[in-house]
Amino acid sequence: MRHPTDDLSALVDGALPPRRAEEVRHHLSGCESCRALHARITGAVAALSGLPPPPEPSPWFAVRLEARLASEASRRRGPLARLAALAVRWRIAAPVGALAVAAAVTVVVVRTRAANERELASQLDLLADYEVVANLDALSSPGDAEIATHLDALEAEGSPR
Amino acid sequence: MAPDPDAALLLAFQRGDASAFRTLYERHARAMVAFCHHFVRDTARAEELAQDVFVKLYRAADRYQPSARFKTFLYRIASNHCLNELRRGEYGARKAAAGAGSPADPDALPAPEAGPEASAEARKLERAVRVLLDRLPDGQRTAFVLARFEGLSYDEIAAVLETSVSAVKSLVHRATVTAAEALAPFARPDLEEVLP
Repeated sequence: MRHPTDDLSALVDGALPPRRAEEVRHHLSGCESCRALHARITGAVAALSGLPPPPEPSPWFAVRLEARLASEASRRRGPLARLAALAVRWRIAAPVGALAVAAAVTVVVVRTRAANERELASQLDLLADYEVVANLDALSSPGDAEIATHLDALEAEGSPR
Repeated sequence: MAPDPDAALLLAFQRGDASAFRTLYERHARAMVAFCHHFVRDTARAEELAQDVFVKLYRAADRYQPSARFKTFLYRIASNHCLNELRRGEYGARKAAAGAGSPADPDALPAPEAGPEASAEARKLERAVRVLLDRLPDGQRTAFVLARFEGLSYDEIAAVLETSVSAVKSLVHRATVTAAEALAPFARPDLEEVLP
């Protein structure tokens, strides 16, 4: 039998099947090096029992954990709860919002129309000369255009008094 | 499989019974703080880690299948969380420093947090164990802690680490051989065979 090195800790821990444990014990009885390793392992495992007891949870452990779990629960519920709240808010807000948007659009349209009309009124004088300006294209040469722009003066000079 | 009352509690929590979860953490808080303490050696931090474990359990509760024992489910969450904690930040750096060169001198470490009732010998032993654990690779450390301090069987450790029983046997043995060297001054020859 080769050295059952890997089984020595398992033997100490009682983790070997009975038949295998028996085989390893039998090997130990005839193998000094394995017996020495087995003794070191049992000594170290026994030494661990001399450790001080592990720390206890503090009195605030449960309180703090409860707070974290409550926060976790609300985070977990969050998306659904937020959607529900949003739906309720929109049920009220949507008609109000629609009215507000409609009112705003109306105001903008009315103001724009009024502004356009004021602009139109301010340019009525220009419109009076519109026929002359529009007919500038009909003039055949730059000379004609020059004559047309000085028509008033020419009329005054050429007209009989 | 024998009935698992903790699994029944987690299933009750799945069905909406919040008090079932409270019962679970009341039962396991002490073990979780102790388990985490083996990784960080700081009581306040161990408590924080243990709380993280329960928050993770809370989040993972919906995924729990009764085919897995609650204990292994909980320790799997705890092991992963503690190892992640070790791998990042100050604990990872401390472990790297401890692993470099010769083993750290236990007497050079700050005093562990054992209560006033602990003897000087117990404090020295605690320092030595701390150095030992910091030297062990992650897998060996977890297997060693689960086997030696938490009393889990090799089957349970295999379920926690999601590996085979023979792999666990090897991890525990290699860690224990390292422990035998590190704890030689404290060895007690009064034990022939430890039964779980």
